[in-house]
Amino acid sequence: MIEAEALTRVYVRGTLETQVLKGVTFRVRQGEFVAIMGRSGSGKSTLLNILGLLDRPDGGRYVLDGVDFSGADDDARSAARNRKLGFVFQQFHLLERASALRNVTLPLLYAEEDSGDATRRAERALEAVGLAHRARHLPSELSGGEQQRVAIARALINDPAVILADEPTGNLDAQSGGEILEIFRRLVGAGRTLVLVTHDRAVAERADRILLLDDGRVAGEEAVLSPAAGAHSRAAGPV
Amino acid sequence: MSARRRRYRQLTRGLLLSLHLLAAHRLRTSLSVSGLLAGVAAVIVMVAIGEGAERRVLERVQGMGANLLVVSAAPAQRVAGRPRQVPVYTMLRAADAAAIEQESALAVAAAPAVNGSMVVRWEGVNTTTIVTGMTSVGLRIRNIAPASGRAFDDEDDRERRRVALIGPTVVRTLFGGADPVGRVLRIRNVPFEVIGVARARGVDPVGVDLDDLVVLPFETATRRLLNIPYVHTLFVQARSTSELIGLEREVREILHGRHAGRSGLLDVFVIQNQATLLRTERGAARAMNQLVVSVALLALLAGGIGILAVMLISVRERTREIGLRRALGAKRRDIQIQFVLESAMLAAGGGLAGVVVGLAVAAGAAMFGPWDLVISWHAAGLGLACSTILGLVVGAIPAARAARLEPIAALRAE
Repeated sequence: MIEAEALTRVYVRGTLETQVLKGVTFRVRQGEFVAIMGRSGSGKSTLLNILGLLDRPDGGRYVLDGVDFSGADDDARSAARNRKLGFVFQQFHLLERASALRNVTLPLLYAEEDSGDATRRAERALEAVGLAHRARHLPSELSGGEQQRVAIARALINDPAVILADEPTGNLDAQSGGEILEIFRRLVGAGRTLVLVTHDRAVAERADRILLLDDGRVAGEEAVLSPAAGAHSRAAGPV
Repeated sequence: MSARRRRYRQLTRGLLLSLHLLAAHRLRTSLSVSGLLAGVAAVIVMVAIGEGAERRVLERVQGMGANLLVVSAAPAQRVAGRPRQVPVYTMLRAADAAAIEQESALAVAAAPAVNGSMVVRWEGVNTTTIVTGMTSVGLRIRNIAPASGRAFDDEDDRERRRVALIGPTVVRTLFGGADPVGRVLRIRNVPFEVIGVARARGVDPVGVDLDDLVVLPFETATRRLLNIPYVHTLFVQARSTSELIGLEREVREILHGRHAGRSGLLDVFVIQNQATLLRTERGAARAMNQLVVSVALLALLAGGIGILAVMLISVRERTREIGLRRALGAKRRDIQIQFVLESAMLAAGGGLAGVVVGLAVAAGAAMFGPWDLVISWHAAGLGLACSTILGLVVGAIPAARAARLEPIAALRAE
């Protein structure tokens, strides 16, 4: 589903160059739940932005769902973000003055296929995250956990191949965070591919596989034996 | 479903969301709209005032009577570089009117008139007013008709009857508004019976009350009251406004032929041409109008700049929203269209509110104020169109700025 080959990314500020990614290579299979884990500054968010087609790598190759996006133009990348990707952000990024339902329908404004009855689809997506009864509420009237569930419903509405989550539980209490991860597990169980970025080991251990990132390089990989329970075993050495 | 219909539906849904978000940000939206509202309302009120003034000029000039030349028995003298009229000149005769009627091909009618400012009395009440003597033809071409009672006729004139047609202002000042028909008033101690009240003609823009007058039969006025052999004014009527210039030339020639030998002067009379008068006065009203409208258009432009400012601030404030929309699949073009349309909607909304406010103010002023306003749908449409186009144009700048933002940078903005 995802093939990343020797991805590099350099940030230039004035005369100062910072190499954030120094050649990252890995794959994610369809239906897999992968956590990218690392300290802050390890380049994990930059990597996720590149996977999400929000940022371009300076070098390397990135293939998503069989399509090479290394040289794709802005329109093609926008279309792919809409159709193939679903985003879940740490800050939720909901429109403050719009109801949960309107927030969920937002991606349909930019869909390239006919989306049918937008409201019905949004209601179904909200149902899938257990928020059907809160559809008409504004984000400010929802708890943090509920807001993140609205964001997940929004990520699901276009039936994407891959869901990308950037510290999705970072702004939530333990219980709400647990509920979000529960939903993620369910989505993966239903066949979705999910990549999650976190610095929190307890969160990472809910994934099938953990990719350790350190100073812009893949520092190691761990398979989690029983992801639902959070137990894991360490795989040997770097990839 | 075709791709075009899908695009159309998405655009509609996007607009609805934009409207919803604009409505939710009440302060920001009303701020951006208020400038254009004021601008459009100003345009409408200004145009209403201007067109009202123009109509008044037209009415006043035509109120004198239609297609008229006014020949005054006084030469234009230059005093300190300005034309001045010397008050009394004794050259024009009633026979000149008859001669013009006969000799000029373009003259439909001609009538002599005399006038003077005199004290009029009724039962101990005095008032000073303009007393005019004219023939029944003069009444017709000057557009003076009775509102009650009757006007005098040729027989009254021939018999030099002491009858008077009086203006509504005199009815008020002398008779306190009571019906004056049948009563006898005195002018220079000569008794006159009031036989009719003239139709009201109002006040001209200079402030001269056109209803403050007493009209007597021409012969009665010259023989019984003034005892003069000459007349002050000749009124000559043309068939149409377009023939007024030609008529003026003819009248000039006829009068020269009749008087040049006697006075030795050529232009010992002044001819006021209604067409020229109309053109000058209209020109003045138009110039004023244009000035007023350009000021109003400046106000409109200021309103547009207001929208520009608010939209630019809005782009900055909504950077994260733009980033989010980009992350969810919006292309640069989608963002651009969104911001241009939002700006156009704001402008159209402001324009529409301005039309409502402007029409209400103009209608209110016309109803309760002393102004003569003409409500112009033309100006309303123009104001609305101008503001919408302004919104589209002005929206392009913030829209381009919004579309240029990189999704990740926009999403990360604080």
